[in-house]
Formats: sequence, C-alpha cells, structure tokens
Amino acid sequence: MPVLAYIVTPRSGEKNKLLKELNAMQHCEALSADNADILILVTDTPDKETEKQLEKQLNKIESMESLSMTFGYNDELQYKGEGDGHEDR
Amino acid sequence: MKIDRRSFIKSAAATSAVATATSLFPGISFASWKQLEGATGMIRWEKAPCRFCGTGCGVLVGVSGDRAVAVKGDPACSVNKGLCCVKGYHSVQALYGKDRLTKAQVRKNGKMVEVPIQEALDIIAAKMKETIDKHGKDSVAMYGSGQWTIPDGYVASKLFKGCIGTNNVEANARLCMASAVTGFLTSFGVDEPMGCYEDIDYANVFITWGNNMAEMHPVLFSRMLAQRKRRNDVTIIDFATRTTRTSQASDKSILFKPQTDLAVANAICYEIIRNDWVNWDFVNKHVSFHKGKTNIGYGLEDKFKFKDKAEGIDFEQFKTFLKDYTPEKVEKMSGVPARDIRYLASLYGDPTKKVTSFWCMGMNQHTRGTWINNLVYNIHLLVGKISTPGNSPFSLTGQPSACGTVREVGTLTHKLPHGVVMKPKARELAEKIWELPAGSIDPKPTYHTVAMFRALDRGDIRFMWIQVTNPMVTMPKLKRYRDGALKEDRFIVVSDVYPTPTTDVADVILPAAMWVEQEGMFGNSERRTQHFDEIVPPPGEAMSDTWQIIEVARRLGFEKQFPWSQEEYIGKIWEEYRRFHDSPKHNMAPYKVLKARSGVQWPFVNGKETRWRFNAKHDPACTSGEDFHFYGKKDNRAWIWARPYEPAAESPDQEYNFWLNTGRVIEHWHTGSMTRRVPVLHNAMPSAYVEINPEDAADMGIVNGEMIKIISRRGEVTMPASINGRGVPTRGQVFVPFFDEKYLINEVTLDAFCPISKQPDYKKCAVKLEKA
Amino acid sequence: MNRSERNTSRIKLGFAAFCLSWVLLALPAVAADNIPYGFDSGGEKIFTRYNETPFSAMSGTDGRRNLNSFYELRQYPGSPPRIPHKVFPSFSGEQADCIACHGRGGYDVEQDTYVPVTPHPENELCYQCHVPKLTDELFVGTNWLSIPPPKLGNSQLGGSPPPIPHSLQLRGDCIACHTGSGAVAGIRVDHGSRGNCRQCHVEFLATEPALEFTRNK
Repeated sequence: MPVLAYIVTPRSGEKNKLLKELNAMQHCEALSADNADILILVTDTPDKETEKQLEKQLNKIESMESLSMTFGYNDELQYKGEGDGHEDR
Repeated sequence: MKIDRRSFIKSAAATSAVATATSLFPGISFASWKQLEGATGMIRWEKAPCRFCGTGCGVLVGVSGDRAVAVKGDPACSVNKGLCCVKGYHSVQALYGKDRLTKAQVRKNGKMVEVPIQEALDIIAAKMKETIDKHGKDSVAMYGSGQWTIPDGYVASKLFKGCIGTNNVEANARLCMASAVTGFLTSFGVDEPMGCYEDIDYANVFITWGNNMAEMHPVLFSRMLAQRKRRNDVTIIDFATRTTRTSQASDKSILFKPQTDLAVANAICYEIIRNDWVNWDFVNKHVSFHKGKTNIGYGLEDKFKFKDKAEGIDFEQFKTFLKDYTPEKVEKMSGVPARDIRYLASLYGDPTKKVTSFWCMGMNQHTRGTWINNLVYNIHLLVGKISTPGNSPFSLTGQPSACGTVREVGTLTHKLPHGVVMKPKARELAEKIWELPAGSIDPKPTYHTVAMFRALDRGDIRFMWIQVTNPMVTMPKLKRYRDGALKEDRFIVVSDVYPTPTTDVADVILPAAMWVEQEGMFGNSERRTQHFDEIVPPPGEAMSDTWQIIEVARRLGFEKQFPWSQEEYIGKIWEEYRRFHDSPKHNMAPYKVLKARSGVQWPFVNGKETRWRFNAKHDPACTSGEDFHFYGKKDNRAWIWARPYEPAAESPDQEYNFWLNTGRVIEHWHTGSMTRRVPVLHNAMPSAYVEINPEDAADMGIVNGEMIKIISRRGEVTMPASINGRGVPTRGQVFVPFFDEKYLINEVTLDAFCPISKQPDYKKCAVKLEKA
Repeated sequence: MNRSERNTSRIKLGFAAFCLSWVLLALPAVAADNIPYGFDSGGEKIFTRYNETPFSAMSGTDGRRNLNSFYELRQYPGSPPRIPHKVFPSFSGEQADCIACHGRGGYDVEQDTYVPVTPHPENELCYQCHVPKLTDELFVGTNWLSIPPPKLGNSQLGGSPPPIPHSLQLRGDCIACHTGSGAVAGIRVDHGSRGNCRQCHVEFLATEPALEFTRNK
C-alpha cells in the first residue's frame, strides 16, 4: 500500500483548476500553498499496480507543469517480509 | 477519534513535502485550515454579540460567501473595546462541527428516524393537543434558556402563558440567575444592576465574591487588570473558597469555608458600624431596615413551599442582630482571620475609595443565594457606595441573554414580560397586548425548574419542549430527572444544534439555527440589548427556535397571535414586546436603533441610555428631587436585610468527608456542546478532572492523573485527579468542572435550592473519595 | 511530445540529503594518524568554536519559525495563535512568566529558539486568548474552512513598498513581528532601523472592501 508525496507545479494561472482536478481523482489528496504557485499532493493507493496506473493518469493532466516526489512509503514491502524494499529498483 | 497508522503516514508524507517546499521556496506557507473554495480573500464584517457568556462582547464576524470564516473584537462596542477571549475568537468554528443537526428526527418504534421538519412540527402540535385534552393544560411545559434570543423567549411566553394558559414556562436561568433576581427584588424592588461595566474605569477596589472572573469573565477581568496597570491606585481582592487564576492575579487572596460568606458579610457590616464608617446622610435618606423569616429549609422534598415575610426593623435592631458576627466569632466559623475581615471592612469603609464588588455563581448557586445577595447590598448601602461611577455591587451573568430573555421577558413560571402573573394589572396588560380574552392567563404560578422536572418524573407533566439547553447534563441529582424523562408516556421535544445527552432522551429532535444563523437579540449583564442579523444561512432544515414555536402555535390555532411573515418577524416581535416596557424605568430602544448600534442600554429614554440607575444625575426615572431615588420599593428606599448565617443543606461528615464544588473553565462554555467542537478549545482542555488539595492527595496517596471515584448519597462518577493543576481547592474540598458529558458530575450533586429564588446549590454537597 | 519525460523529474530529497550533510560536517574532526594533534591551534580553535555554536546562534534565527509554522498555530488569518510549547500545568502564574520571554524576545536556552515578541504587551491576561495544546485528537471532526492568508509582496508597482495586508487591531506594533531574530523569516524586514514604518507602508486590507469615496456637494 504505497503512500507518496509530491511537490506539484501548476502551469501559470491554473493552480486552482489543478487543485480541483487532483482532489477529484481517486487516491489523491492535494493542498495548495497560500502564497505561492505550488501544490502538495499525497497519493495513497491500495497496491503497486494502482500506483503505476495513477502515475500515468497524473502525467496526462494538462494544467500540470511538473511533479517531484519527496516521500515514498510502501508497507507491502515492509510487512510481508519480501526483501528490504530495494529489489525492484 | 483515533488517528490510525495509515493517516499518520499520510500526514507524515504531507509534512515532508511541505518541509521540502519550504526549503526550496522560502516564505511559502500552507495554512493548517482547509480553504474555502473560490474565496477571493475578501471578507465582509458583520456585528454580533458573542454567543457565549453574559459579558456580551461585541464581535465582528468575517463572512466569505455564505460562511463565517473569521472573528475580531468590535472596537465600537464599549463592553470589550475590540478584545475577545479565546472562546470568542473561535466562536464561529462552533457552527461547523461535523455532527451538526440538520434534519428533524422522530422516535418511531424506539428508533430515531429522520423526517421532514414540517412533519415533525405536525407531530409536536398533535401531541400537545392530545396531552392537553387528556391531562389538562398544566401537563405541557416549555423549558428554555438564557441562550434563547429575546424573540425566542417572548413567543414561548405568549404561546404557553397567553394562548394555552399554563404558567409552565421555565428557563435554565433558574439554575444560574434566580438568586440574583430575588436579591435585586428584595433589596431594590426592580431587577438588574444599577451600575454598568464603566464602573471598572473608576473603581479603586475590586472585590470578587466567590467569582473566578479571570476564567469566567476574562474580558472584564482584563479590563480590571488594565486599570490597575494604568492607575496605580487599584487593588483587587479575591474572596473565594478555592485558589484560582483570579486569586493569583489579585493583590490579595482570602479563602473562606463554604457557606460562611454569609457570616463574613455580616462581620464586615459589624465592623463598618463599630468604626462609624456608616454614610449617615445616605442611610437616613435612602435606606430602610428589614428582617425576614429564618430557618427557611432547603427544598429537598417534593412540593416544598416557602413564602418569605418582610418585617420592618430600626437601625438599633439591625445593630443588635450583628452582635453575633464580631470578626473574632466569624473567624472561628469561616476560617478567615479577623484581621482580614477588618481589612475588607476598611476598604468598603474608606470614604476616599470607590469599591466595586463582582459576583456570579458563587453567590447565586447557594441555598441562601437571595440572602448573600442582600448582604453584599447591605455593605454597599451602609457606606453609600452604590449607583455612582466606580461604586457598584455588580451581579454578573453567565449566559448571553439570561438578562435579556429570562429576566426581562420573564420566561419564568411566576413572570410576564411586565410584572408577575399573580398581579391582575400585569395579566390585563399582557392580555391586551396579546389580544386575548380577559382571564386567559392563569393567576397561579406552577413549577420552578427543579419542581418542573420533579413533576415530569411524577407524571404531572407529560409533555416537555426543551430549547437551547442541555438539562440531562446540568440538572442536579441528575439520575432522578433522567429516569423521569425516560418514563413511558412522557413526550420530550428537544431543539438543538448538536447531539447531546438531552437529545438522547428526546422523542422529537428539531434542528435549530444557531446564533448568527438567525436574526435576534441578546441582553447582557449591564442592561445592554444587542441585535444581530442573520449573517450566514442555517444548515439543512435548521430553523430558528422562534419560528419553530410560531409554526406549532399556528397549528394549534393561534394564527391571530402569531401573524408575522418570515421576512420581518423579529422586528415586529420586538416592537410588540417593547410595549410592555413603556416607562422611564424600563424603556427599550426601538428596533432601528438596535440594528444600527453595537448594543443599547435600557432604560432608553428620549434617545439616551441610562448608565447608573437610581442616580438622579443619570436616571430619568428618579423623581424625588434628591441625589438618589430608589423608586423600586414603595417606601422609595433601598432595603437592608438582617439575614443570619445558616448552614448548607449537606455538609461533610465522618463518612462523606469532602465538600464538592462544581463550575467552569475558560475554554469551555457550560456543557461544552458547542465549545468542545472547536478544535483549539478541545485540544487545550480535552476532559474534566477532579481538583484535590495537594495535602489531601498526599494523605490518601493519590497521584496526578490517577482515577478517583467521587461518591455521594445520590450517585458516583470516576475521573482523573488533578493536583496543583488549574486551581487548588482548600483542604477538605474538591472541585470538578461540569463541561464533560463523559464525566457527569451532576449524578453526584444535590438538588437543594434557595427557598426564595428556587435556584439549586451546585457549589456545596458532601462526597467521599475512593481510588478507582 | 512525451509529457511524462518532461514533467516527471523525481528528485530524491529529504532524509538522504540531510544525513549526507551531517556526515560531511563530521569528517574534518578526525585527524590523520601521523599529523600532531592541534598543530594549527588557530584553525582548531576556530573549528571547535564553530562546531560548538548552535546553528541558531550563528545565523541569528533558528530557522524553525517560518510562515508555515506561523499559520499552523492559527485557525484563520488574524486568530490568536496557540501556545506551541509547554506551560506550567496551572498556567495561572504571573503574567510576568510570559512577558519574561515574549516581552523583549531574544534567545531562549531552554527551548533553543528565538522568541517572538508580543505586539500587545499591554494586555496582561495572556491566557484570555492563548491556550496550549494538550491533545491532537478532536471531540468531533469539523467542517471549518477559512480564507487564504494574505500573499507576500503585494507591491502595486515593481519594487514599491508593499501595503500592510492585515488589520492593525492588536497588531499595530510593526517592530514586534517584523524585526529581530524572533520574526518569521518570510516577513522580516531588512531596514528595521527606519522606525517610521507607516511613512511608506499603508493599510490595504485585502480582507476588507475598500471604502468608496463620494464627494459631498
């Protein structure tokens, strides 16, 4: 069950539109900076497969300029005892 | 609500992203609150009185779209001059708890089912009709509150007392202000303080009588502190049974044993007379002396009856009566050193000092509440320190409209908007204004609050409508009254904004509009009427309490008495109500003036507010030609009463060896049904506790946070101990705040009351402690 | 165009970078075997002094107070902030307890931080408006929403002095919040010595509608 956090830059003037779009998507929670054109996105997906699908979807969003990951966590790997979380890099 | 592991990881993820963003873009910020979608950042500010206590601070509510988003103190309001307390600043958040009631619910086969509100109102009207037909008009009752707006209380009184003809109208202000009312009536003949908050700007000495003002009236307390800082000639004395924030901010803290305030007040009078600090000019012209009945009982039995009888005495008789109260004798009873009693007397007696006394529940929730109110007036009257700027015996209120709605509109069993039901003239005036046939109003009062809940338990009352209050947390000796409400064949309607232990016993729940979701008026402690508009719309089907009553009244066939449209009903009701007070003693401001100003004081005569009553320079009702005119009494004098010390209804003994005192904390207001839904307030004060004196705790081996069982003859409750916490009770006493519905302290308290005011004593009963 | 190539630049930040920088700092403290210990006493002294001095003391700010932590403590723009540190359980002592630190600001050893200064020291009853946080849990969830805080740098012309974006009620002492080491970095001014703030900065409340001017006939 991966949880990832991103810093998202919207295209110029499209911050609110992007915020709405992201919050409307499944598995996504976005919050907006008060005084800069920056969003924070936290994704919480049930499995690796959904996560990959979601990432593809995210990349299709027109109002998004860039997406940078700052945090990653996957408890599937930690709890099932299948390796140390590095094997699929 | 527990934060689970998953949401913890998510919040850690967000925090890490925020931290990264902060390092990449200095100065970036993410507010911790959720942002209103599409907000331009533009706010419109609307005036209102604060929702909570009786201070009546003016607030400006910031509105964006149809939501309240911010608060600031109203600089134009003379009460608080732009400063609020932590409750006021976060008051608008109380509108937005997730479990807000937005739909009507009706009990069907034992389960609450949501129904359209019109259907619920039909059911209420039908049930009232049926109950009246079956059991008579005195089997239906209305129980309201000092948080009712003035129109709420007015239409309740009109429907029940006028149209239905039952005096079964009471309000929770009986539990908080009744002794203040009877105190004013017995001493001055008219209700409500002669002074105003401006007294704070002139007084040199402040004495708080059993009143933790620093927490309960913080805005007024900080006005006192500001004066002390500015003027250098200000002394604050805290006279109390427990060491509190007020004691610590005061110049001197004097502690007394519960109930002995009666003796100390008399000892102060004894000293004033012994030193001849009496203001003879004032006393000879404006004061008369009286005594009443003694050994007056405690109202513990059902159908208890008491009527006081005043008897005139002369000054010498009063002086003889005080012989039992020398400082040395009183020191033995009260634990207050004789030199401290003399010190207090010297402050009141010093002709160069202006003295203001403040009190609230410590004196009112007292089985001799009327008496102790009388006794403090005695002190001020003997030295003539009254009704002038800075000289003020000041009775504070706990609810935003205890004065406005309960005392002025008269939503108590014996009262009408003007006068009492027993007086033919008062009934005639009400019948005329209400366009009812002569004889519609019953000349006999029925039940005061405790008696009303006893009647519900016995079955004399079958239908009760409860609005804006939470008696299933606040009634003393709670179990009896909860069991009573739950009995077969009792029908309870509750109008409220959130689920509470009281909605738990309801057969019908009506969702109510809260505070600025409706138009209305409150009346604060200093005779100030404060209007507010509907600033934001009520959620869902929520409806103002006034309109709920109007809807039911119309269903009962009283369209003629309740003809107003929903657009203008508040203004129309106000102008009708104002006709009751058409005299220089009580004139109220017109609707237009109320709408324009941040509160207007009555008597409002010829466009001017009255700040000091009974003072000919300020009060247009004074007609005697003297400096002062106490026009409330037939002899045109203020009455000094010889009232003795009598013990509490229940005092600690061998088995139940502790006093139990109950009260509030700054963060929470009353039962916390609103303030606990405000994140800042709940985070700061998440649960109740029992304060124990550190030495008592050491004797019993109790440590901080340990669970302690508090047991009385009525019931028990287990809660964590607090030692050297917010307050410290004296040895042999424990204190519990009552805001927490998880720890219902009123299971333990006693329903003894002042026989004159019928107000219960929540400050004194006997308990024992056990480790849980 | 392949969008995914353009906008998925995954930067690994956070912990890794932090850990690495500490490792680098620690390295010079270890001298090689054949060099006499403390041969360049001046250099060692300078380094030791540097090493012993907390970051906050050197930079004049602890870096922890930023606009984020500032708004974290508030429920809406202008609400009284919560108390973010421990207070005595009674929190009923002298007002002097609060003013001792928040009256003048400066460095507080106990909390290892620079203390923000109150803009309204004339109000003595601190706990009237400011309360600590004893729990994170809520009694019931809330649907509270508020407006965004004002933006920074609202100059009307490029480089012109920005207007004051908040009400001056209880917050009229500019020096208290906008200068000194306790000030939030994002709103600290670099010309604090020029005391007449309102010579250049005027109140322009984004939160309040401007008063319409009408000419009297």
